[in-house]
Amino acid sequence: MSEHHITPLRTYLIIAASLLFLSGVTVWVSYIDLGSFNIVLAMFVATVKASLVAFFFMHLLWDDKKNLTMFLMSLMFFGIFVTITMLDTEFRGDLGLNPETKDPINKRAAFYDTLPLTDTHGHPVDEHSDEHHEDKDHH
Amino acid sequence: MSNKTKQNYLNHPKGIMSWLLTLDHKRIGLMYLFSGILFFFLGGLLALVMRFELAAPGNDIISNEVYNNVYTLHGAIMIFLFIIPAIPGALGNILLPLMVGAKDVAFPRLNLASFYIYSFGALFAMYTIINGGVDTGWTFYTPYSTQSSSNVVPMTLGIFIIGFSSILTGLNFIATIHKMRIPGLTWYKLPLFVWALYGTSLVQITATPVLAITMVLLMLERFLGIGIFDPALGGDPVLYQHFFWFYSHPAVYIMILPAFGIISEIIPVHSRKKIWGYKFIAYSTLSIAFIGFLVWGHHMFTSGQSVFSQIVFSFITYFVGIPTGVKIFSWILTMYKGQVSFTPPMFYALSFLFLFTIGGLTGIFLGAVALDIHLHDTYFVVAHFHYVMQGGTIVAFLGGLHHWWPKSFGVMYNQTIANIAALGVFIGFNGTFFPQFLLGLRGMPRRYATYDEQFVELHSYSTFWSGILGISIFIAVMNLFWSFIKKNKVDPGSNPWGGMTLEWTHTSSPPHPHNFEEEPVLQHGPYDYDKVIVDKTYKK
Ligand code: HEM
Ligand SMILES: [Cu+2]
Repeated sequence: MSEHHITPLRTYLIIAASLLFLSGVTVWVSYIDLGSFNIVLAMFVATVKASLVAFFFMHLLWDDKKNLTMFLMSLMFFGIFVTITMLDTEFRGDLGLNPETKDPINKRAAFYDTLPLTDTHGHPVDEHSDEHHEDKDHH
Repeated sequence: MSNKTKQNYLNHPKGIMSWLLTLDHKRIGLMYLFSGILFFFLGGLLALVMRFELAAPGNDIISNEVYNNVYTLHGAIMIFLFIIPAIPGALGNILLPLMVGAKDVAFPRLNLASFYIYSFGALFAMYTIINGGVDTGWTFYTPYSTQSSSNVVPMTLGIFIIGFSSILTGLNFIATIHKMRIPGLTWYKLPLFVWALYGTSLVQITATPVLAITMVLLMLERFLGIGIFDPALGGDPVLYQHFFWFYSHPAVYIMILPAFGIISEIIPVHSRKKIWGYKFIAYSTLSIAFIGFLVWGHHMFTSGQSVFSQIVFSFITYFVGIPTGVKIFSWILTMYKGQVSFTPPMFYALSFLFLFTIGGLTGIFLGAVALDIHLHDTYFVVAHFHYVMQGGTIVAFLGGLHHWWPKSFGVMYNQTIANIAALGVFIGFNGTFFPQFLLGLRGMPRRYATYDEQFVELHSYSTFWSGILGISIFIAVMNLFWSFIKKNKVDPGSNPWGGMTLEWTHTSSPPHPHNFEEEPVLQHGPYDYDKVIVDKTYKK
């Protein structure tokens, strides 16, 4: 086994500060409307934070490289899962034969019935507006 | 090998607690073996109930509702309680440390913990049965699984728990293979069964967490109404299938890779010939494990996923055939000009080659989108996966049991009965499942308790032969256990098939509690039949 690596306290403090800073970033960007890019950004920041914890707090950086390989592999498999799934979700109904299957998902649905539905700009919308969805008239 | 080894892992230490708290990989393997066989019989019983219901159209024995429960439990028990945990858990545990020359696995306590986690999860599954069953099918597709009033929760919870046992076993095996090999046992000198376990373990630790996540998401939607799969709540029902198959397609390799490993051991030993294409077999294991992660959408060709992804998934599915074909040809070439002896393990290995090839090739048929749209959810699919899972995995498992039985227990079964039973399994299996290909081609859908008149003939054939299959498997297993009761002992130093791997050359049968009396020194590779002569020794 490789000998023990002693991390200076300074490094820990710098990493802790960066984690706090990145948490701030997450909160801050949540106030900016970037459409569906919000989620991408939030996930990116979260991944960076998790990696910092794994690399420094959990000593992955100085550990046997096999463990690093395992960590990177898990990221790779996650990437494969998300990317290939999006080949479906982003192109659902791509033949356009059946208008019903184009975008079958109610993207504006709320998790709880008690919350009013809002559009992407946060304005309240009518619950039943779904029935005269603009998309359907095109076909 | 000396004759004075009286102490072995079976008789030392004694007492029930020494079993329940054992850290010995061989004892833990045995406990997996017994629980696995128990669930195998339970699942088999459920299968026979279904077959007898289907002997004639109409609801003769059970109602539609009960039928739904029976096929769900059959599938869930066979897959989640028997094949996935118990085959690596049993044969893997017993053999891996012996094959790498180690005293035990890398983390013996974790190994025992895995067994108890598995048992704990199995309790939930058993509770499901007592509490009235579950009727969603083993795939738990939404939206039905978030609405069904049957025991979806205990069953999925049980599967969630058993998943952790899989992950920990995989971790343990990987650490063992990396760290516990004796000096000189380099990667290319490892028995191919070890490579197979390595591939299996990688899939277990990378895919199983996704199963756990899937089950958690299902619960979140059921209990908290969070919209993940329900379109009315902003979810996507097809997404469930992505999650589920991202685990469950790789899981079919958790099922088949150990079987490949078993066959790679049986064939060279019983043909007394060096394995053909060692590196091909070793690397095809890894590439199957990897490609297996890219093809899950071939289970979703009628789900309404985008046509773009249909094409991608269909295309990548064909690639699985390459490493698989490489293995089949390597095994056949190994037998070529070998001294093939028709022992029970070899009978099972030959059955495997035949049955798995049919199963794998029909998998390629189903991988073609245009064809699968017609065949999806018909008996053709049922026949396909039984050819690979029963004809492949379970036949290899039986072969492995017969191969390592004298090693593990120091007793020899009646080989004539074993051969007859193996033949019965082969014929009974084909009789049961070949007609199902035809049924599927003619449009018989799966998961129905009854059917139209036109299917009577094929269904009744299938039922008849399933009886023969059931009886043959029962005889095969009982014949093994009988040797144990009859104490038909082999000499502790015996090597009945002339194997060359460490478990045959350096341990007694049954092995010493600490496996080796002294650290073994590697003298030759695992299949060096061209260089060294190993005698078959059975009884003095
Ligand atoms: C040679 C490589 C293989 C290919 C190309 C292949 C392909 C396929 C395809 C395309 C399907 C979907 C059929 C449908 O639902 O319409 C399928 C189903 C299935 N396959 Fe395979 N397969 C292969 C090997 C295996 C192996 C080795 C196993 C297990 C040991 C397996 C187990 C299953 C199971 C359990 C299902 C049905 C799942 C369900 O819907 O309940 N397959 N296979
Ligand atoms: Cu598959």
